Amino acid sequence: MADRPKVLEKVLIANRGEIAVRVLRALRELGRRSAVVYSDADRASLPVLLADEAHRIGPAPSAESYLRAEAIVELAREIGADAIHPGYGFLAESARFAALCGAAGVKFIGPPPAAMAAMGSKIESRRLMIAAGVPVVPGGEDPLASPAEAAAAAAAIGYPVMLKAAAGGGGKGMRLVRDADGLAAAYRAARSEARASFGDDAVYLEKLVERPRHVEIQILADEHGNVVSLGERDCSLQRRHQKVVEEAPSPAVDAPLRRRMSEAAVRAAAAVGYANAGTVEFLLAPDGDFFFLEMNTRLQVEHPITEMVTGIDLVRWQLAIAEGRPLAEELDDVEIRGHAFEVRLYAEDPYRNFAPSPGRIERLRLPQGPGVRNECGVYEGEAVTIHYDPLLAKLVVWGADRGQAMERLDRALSELRIEGIRTTAPLFRALLADADFRRGVVDNDMLDRKLAAGELTPTRSALQRELTTIAAALEHLDRHGRRAARSLARGRRDHWRGAGRREALRGT
Amino acid sequence: MELIVKHADGDTKVKIDRRGAEYQLQIGDQSYVILSAEAANGVRSLLVDGGQYEVSVRSLGEDRYEVTTTAGAATVQVQDPLTQLAEVAHEKQGGTGRQRVAAYMPGRVVSVLVAEGEAVTAGQGLLVLEAMKMENEIQAEQAGVIAKLHVTPGQAVDRGDPLFELEPAGQPDRGAGGQV
Repeated sequence: MADRPKVLEKVLIANRGEIAVRVLRALRELGRRSAVVYSDADRASLPVLLADEAHRIGPAPSAESYLRAEAIVELAREIGADAIHPGYGFLAESARFAALCGAAGVKFIGPPPAAMAAMGSKIESRRLMIAAGVPVVPGGEDPLASPAEAAAAAAAIGYPVMLKAAAGGGGKGMRLVRDADGLAAAYRAARSEARASFGDDAVYLEKLVERPRHVEIQILADEHGNVVSLGERDCSLQRRHQKVVEEAPSPAVDAPLRRRMSEAAVRAAAAVGYANAGTVEFLLAPDGDFFFLEMNTRLQVEHPITEMVTGIDLVRWQLAIAEGRPLAEELDDVEIRGHAFEVRLYAEDPYRNFAPSPGRIERLRLPQGPGVRNECGVYEGEAVTIHYDPLLAKLVVWGADRGQAMERLDRALSELRIEGIRTTAPLFRALLADADFRRGVVDNDMLDRKLAAGELTPTRSALQRELTTIAAALEHLDRHGRRAARSLARGRRDHWRGAGRREALRGT
Repeated sequence: MELIVKHADGDTKVKIDRRGAEYQLQIGDQSYVILSAEAANGVRSLLVDGGQYEVSVRSLGEDRYEVTTTAGAATVQVQDPLTQLAEVAHEKQGGTGRQRVAAYMPGRVVSVLVAEGEAVTAGQGLLVLEAMKMENEIQAEQAGVIAKLHVTPGQAVDRGDPLFELEPAGQPDRGAGGQV
């Protein structure tokens, strides 16, 4: 169907926030027309302000806006969009949505629905990977219908086990269970969360590989059967199964291991007839064994670090592949150059156990300078609501080696200011001071472990506490000083009016 | 002017005076001479003992300020000692043993796992709150009896809204409240 390239002149972005901005940038560079959908909460959001066209898709809750598959496809037809880019999250991994696009004659910028469906079910994908010779973690593949069934399955493979949502991703609907006592409660919680997040409460369980790293391979596949690997990303630093910091290359992967993991990833993609950008996630054990975890059939949040160390624009390639173009020869043996980190700036308060922190962004100063790249979806003055994922922005740095990349990350974080709401930025300063992180000796549970032990809880130094005291005292004196001076100048006859004004000032 | 700056981890006494462009500050036995220049939007450049520091100060009303340094933001309250004495007296008078727990964040009540009048143990799950697509189980800080439930499943709550009240078992003089 895609023998001759068909230029996608106009693309509808079915997403919001920083990823919508990322796709917009690629479209603008290529001279293509960009359209975005927006919910009522996002009418004046950054992607809307940057887009060539913006179209309302519904009220704030995502179920009534960004998740309305039929309405979005219908909109694409109405406005004459040639293609839809789903970003990540929302409908990005919905095979049904991709099929709806296809039926409406709108190109879905992503893999064929059949490949998405195969990889979208963790149970089905495990079977396929075993058949393709891709190593998988021991465990049950069948949905568990009851706590008793879960208990039997867990007893068979041995604790600790991991409960997972069949339709899942991003840590939602996932629960670690150390012993039989905790299983029933975890089972119920996982199903409830899976239902809330994916509308599908099927869960299964598998054996937990102790102290693994999360290492994933970025692949590109064209619509002519070619698949290439662009190397790995290490996403081991996770808090409650949510990635927090990513780096490329992985400090734990050498060239031979990279080759083996890349080959497995290419086999995985080929096994499902994959096309477009995708990521094959592996658990890497301390002994160098690796196991297929899942394939994310979309662009990843952390794709920029691969772009930084390969020089390849992944979103541009997504468009080229969707237009039917073959992969270029230079993608066959891509050189990994330097080292990159990404830190995720979430609207969460690391001083208060990462409680969500919605509110108005009173001040935003993004870092600049050598090796710094911001993927930011918000602007100063914007209100962050509770309706969506709390990811505000990603700070990406590149250095000639891991040491320089860390220095740049520290420097960039020292320039960054996001005020009015709390963000995870202080956590990254604390991480940069951690000896294990600095040496690159990490595993998937390290962040949770250190946070629980209070090791990475961001602290205010004595100096910073003193500065806080000083700044507050200065501000207070300036305010009260001005007020007092004004009252004195007005004199006694104005006493009541002055009091009224003081009350009014307090009320603001 | 004497002030008390109340941090989350304790109070700090400050003596502060302005002499023209200079501020003279005393914190404990430390004395500082400070120059402050205000940039736009609450941002100050402080020159303290040969160092330059960027801080942001935002008034939150009621003499509360949010101060941002390189370590992130902290909320402090500034009081003069007379006001503070009045407050301490008030606290000593009031205070029942009942613990009133309020929502720390805006969100939605997914489920309520206990009933009014039910005895609970420390660490027992009481209700599940969802915010920003993550579910958080709110647990009992201590053993006791659920004296009052303020929420029902499906209800949206704002930061500070009461969730439930817990009558502690055996310790009637425990502190007045908490946030989760």
